[in-house]
Amino acid sequence: MDDHDHSHPHPAAADEAPPEYYEVMETAIRELLIEKKLIAPGEIRRQIEVLDSRTPALGAKVVARAWVDPGFRARLLTNGRAACEELGISFYDDTQLIVLENSDKVHNLIVCTLCSCYPRPVLGLPPDWYKAKPYRARAVREPRTVLSEFGTEIPEDVEIRVSDSTAIQRYMVLPQRPTGSEDFTEEQLAAMVTRDAMIGVVKVNFEHGINS
Amino acid sequence: MAKPFPTPGLNVVKALGEEPAFKAGDSVRISVRYPVGHYRVPAYIRGKLATVEAVMEPPAVNNEEEGFGRNAGSRGHYFRVAIPLTALWPGYAGSLLDGLRIEVFETWLERV
Amino acid sequence: MSQSEHLLRKLPNDIGGVPADRIERTDHVLEPWEKRCHALADVLDFHKIISTEEKRRGVESLGAELIGQLTYYERWVVAFANILFQKAILTPDELAKKMDQVERRPTE
Repeated sequence: MDDHDHSHPHPAAADEAPPEYYEVMETAIRELLIEKKLIAPGEIRRQIEVLDSRTPALGAKVVARAWVDPGFRARLLTNGRAACEELGISFYDDTQLIVLENSDKVHNLIVCTLCSCYPRPVLGLPPDWYKAKPYRARAVREPRTVLSEFGTEIPEDVEIRVSDSTAIQRYMVLPQRPTGSEDFTEEQLAAMVTRDAMIGVVKVNFEHGINS
Repeated sequence: MAKPFPTPGLNVVKALGEEPAFKAGDSVRISVRYPVGHYRVPAYIRGKLATVEAVMEPPAVNNEEEGFGRNAGSRGHYFRVAIPLTALWPGYAGSLLDGLRIEVFETWLERV
Repeated sequence: MSQSEHLLRKLPNDIGGVPADRIERTDHVLEPWEKRCHALADVLDFHKIISTEEKRRGVESLGAELIGQLTYYERWVVAFANILFQKAILTPDELAKKMDQVERRPTE
């Protein structure tokens, strides 16, 4: 990943085209492991369903609940995984979750400089830019410039806190609830919360809520 | 509620490594060393001074060993530490307040 | 420090703080095989046949040149093959024959 970042796939083959080399390798490995009874075909199918069921909508639900329920918010900040599990969001892997609360004084940003750690059980799979070199290399060195490339300006008197994943802890940002959203229902609040706001590269935008 | 059962003179000896070596607020330095093949301590924090923000619970398998298939045993304490960005990057252009948070296993931390 | 020593001391994926380009907000919908590859990685981790950490180590040990040329999931699948050989779960010959068989299969 030093010089290139091929996070994008090769041009998509037409449906009738033969599978490419790496796809053939994936199929061969999977079938051999199934033949050896080390894994079962149903496990792969089920895990694809698990992955498909995990989207930023789950994280948005967690954020909206934290905004309307101070007790839940406190539990979420104490133990992110346990609080998500309260809402039925299971953690299918060994990861833990630290939820980082943004305030008038602190703005949080998450990154994984060594690989692509991300709170997949709650947010689904990360976008390609999160896994690519520019974000991973620069988020820890010049977070304010990185944020400005996302259109986010943070005042100098607000602390930027960058969390870099290295172990089994995953992070999710609890963004600030926009002013003017006092009368919103929990569902309306959840509709305003974007994936990027939970990564910390943007704020929750009030307009997004009105338009949605 | 019943009163706690009194336990005068009870002498519980903890195993080596059972208690974390550091607590929140401690000053530590990230070790400088160069493991071959796999590591989870990025180069940019090595040798830097840090403050322990929290002891992570529960202790976890040392992921540098796990990388070579040792999936059990060697559970160790690890810590969420804070390092100011001005300490990481000479001439850092942002605010003096800006900081990094990162988890580091005890094996990589030295008391200051 | 010699160039080779530097390559050993600093893993290709250890890029925090290195100079890099402006951020392009790239993303793509996973190809079906990429999603299967991700699901396979999870299942291998559940059984600790290949843990997530072993997979990371396997990707790093591909070296900078391959890491630079392969896509994200291509790196994973090649790392799986190498680790399964190392663990004596598969043999290189076995995988080559199976790949040949898969390739000759008529596509639907």
